[in-house]
Amino acid sequence: MLEARLQQANVLKKTVDAIKDLVQDCNFDCNDSGIALQAMDNSHVALVSMLLKAETFQPYRCDRNIALGVNLVSLTKVLRAAQPDDVLTMKAEDAPDSLNILFESSENDRITEYDLKLMDIDQEHLGIPDTEYAATISMPSAEFKRICTDLMAMSESVTIEATKDGVKFSCTGDIGNGAVTLRNHQVEEKPKENIEIELTEPVSLTFSLKYLVNFCKAQALSDSVRICLSNEVPLLVEYLVSGQSYLRFYLAPKIGDEE
Amino acid sequence: MGIKNLFSIIKDEAPGAVKESDIKNQFGCVRIPYTSHTSRSLQTKTTSSSMSIYSFLIAVRSDGQQLTNESGDTTSHLMGMFYRTLRMVDNGIKPLYVFDGKPPKLKSGELAKRFQRKAEANEGLEEAKETGTAEDVEKFSRRTVRVTREHNAECQQLLKLMGIPYIIAPTEAEAQCAVLARAGKVYAAASEDMDTLCFDSPILLRHLTFSEQRKEPIQEISVDKVLEGLGMERKQFVDLCILLGCDYVDPIPKVGPSTALKLIRDHGTLEKVVEWMKNDEKKKYVIPEDWPYEDARALFFEPDVRKADDPLCDFKWEKPDIEGLVKYLAVDKGFNEDRVRAGAARLEKGTKSGQQARLEGFFKPIPKTETEKTAHKRKLEEQNEAKKKRQKEEKKEKAKSKAKPRGTA
Repeated sequence: MLEARLQQANVLKKTVDAIKDLVQDCNFDCNDSGIALQAMDNSHVALVSMLLKAETFQPYRCDRNIALGVNLVSLTKVLRAAQPDDVLTMKAEDAPDSLNILFESSENDRITEYDLKLMDIDQEHLGIPDTEYAATISMPSAEFKRICTDLMAMSESVTIEATKDGVKFSCTGDIGNGAVTLRNHQVEEKPKENIEIELTEPVSLTFSLKYLVNFCKAQALSDSVRICLSNEVPLLVEYLVSGQSYLRFYLAPKIGDEE
Repeated sequence: MGIKNLFSIIKDEAPGAVKESDIKNQFGCVRIPYTSHTSRSLQTKTTSSSMSIYSFLIAVRSDGQQLTNESGDTTSHLMGMFYRTLRMVDNGIKPLYVFDGKPPKLKSGELAKRFQRKAEANEGLEEAKETGTAEDVEKFSRRTVRVTREHNAECQQLLKLMGIPYIIAPTEAEAQCAVLARAGKVYAAASEDMDTLCFDSPILLRHLTFSEQRKEPIQEISVDKVLEGLGMERKQFVDLCILLGCDYVDPIPKVGPSTALKLIRDHGTLEKVVEWMKNDEKKKYVIPEDWPYEDARALFFEPDVRKADDPLCDFKWEKPDIEGLVKYLAVDKGFNEDRVRAGAARLEKGTKSGQQARLEGFFKPIPKTETEKTAHKRKLEEQNEAKKKRQKEEKKEKAKSKAKPRGTA
């Protein structure tokens, strides 16, 4: 039996909104430490990994491991009925056919209840090795989104190059080329706008902008984003939801045989 | 042709092995480009391979006239080759074409001859159906031989100009594709022919080269999952395919997909199945006189192919020779020059842009635990049971409603 109560429906709403364009159907794996989700997009280029820790919920109870096979489009339809500040409760039996979702308004006594049909999803899980990334960039999530959408206008792919001088996002398209360079930037009064770059060795990788722009939908979840890069491994884009709960995106690089 | 009814069996028994998706999701991988099968020469002709030059001809011919240029030479194969290759390149696929070589030769040689004779007879039959008179059949089959050979050469020249690599297999193109795919030189083998699975190609793509108008999803069949779903070793799987009826031997009368599956499951190997059939008192199944299943099996297990590390199997995607293409297609073959140039530009873009890697290249799937597997299997069986029950009931209903005399209802 699962029972998870979320003080702000918004957290789940935004999370699902951020991933529903990448993944259609996926399992929410619930166990006593929290609710996890791992899914690849159709073309197996991007991977979403979400973990909502038990602490994110108040209270959280899950006696047995349960996989909730959810169609995210349907879930979005249900979540649309929730106000951002509603208290959201999810309930499911041990071998559930449906997921019960309850919204309680914080302002009045309005209670909304939905039962969402579940399905069997035979899903492959990928083992993600712990990686020491060569470059880690923390920056405002809005800034990252701006860079991606701006460069998207020029080209399909962006080359991210991290050196000791800073991080350069550059692209080349039919109409010309463009680049954005960021450097370490810390202002005490405005910690939200800090840009931190940690680098152990220079990195240069090329990624599809289409996917990056898609990841940026998670901007609503968090003010800052962490981007981790190492040569010849997938890029990691991480948004912290609250506490230790996170939404991570992995993206396979483009391997250039450009000559 | 290929293997009869194999697809329906796979769909029922191992649904997890088949994935359908859009062409956009299929792209060659890191150093793992992608092989596409081929054009087939006459001897091994099957109408099933849609990428074959052959199918371009058939497709166009069924509409009436073939496409020709001013001097009357057929150009529809070049047209098809050019545009479908472009479509693949646009979607980030890097194709490698494998052409059929000679028909497979066995030690005995007998099978190969028989197989060839049969292919020729089939050919005649098909044409006879189309045109009606035996004379036409004769004429046409002769013409096809000649034309096909020229077409092969023309297509190879076109590919060369497009910068797309191709190799000529010693014998069966599918077998060669499978070897390359196994070695990781390409991501998958694309063919309509299900027997590519028997050659142990890890991934088979079907409907890849169907034209856009048909809006058919691409089927991705993973051989490992097929074997897992069927609960068989590769050897048994090949035996099953032979029993179902492959290109090399005839099917046994009265043995359909469900019987074949049952027989192999009950007896384990083809030898035992044959023995059982011969000893069966009722003589329900009659094995054709000339049924060299061992030879057929050998063809699947030891096809005459080049090893993947053979220098002849090296390939490289190159920049298209734009002027060469214009000269060949526009000047010699009467294509529209603007279109050729536009196509060449697309090709060039395709070779320039980096290859999108897949996550599987970096993260490995966590194998499922035994309990998960059995749970999944049980679920599957339940579903199949339910489906069969439903079908039975529907049949009953139908029979009932039919049994009622008319007008009384």
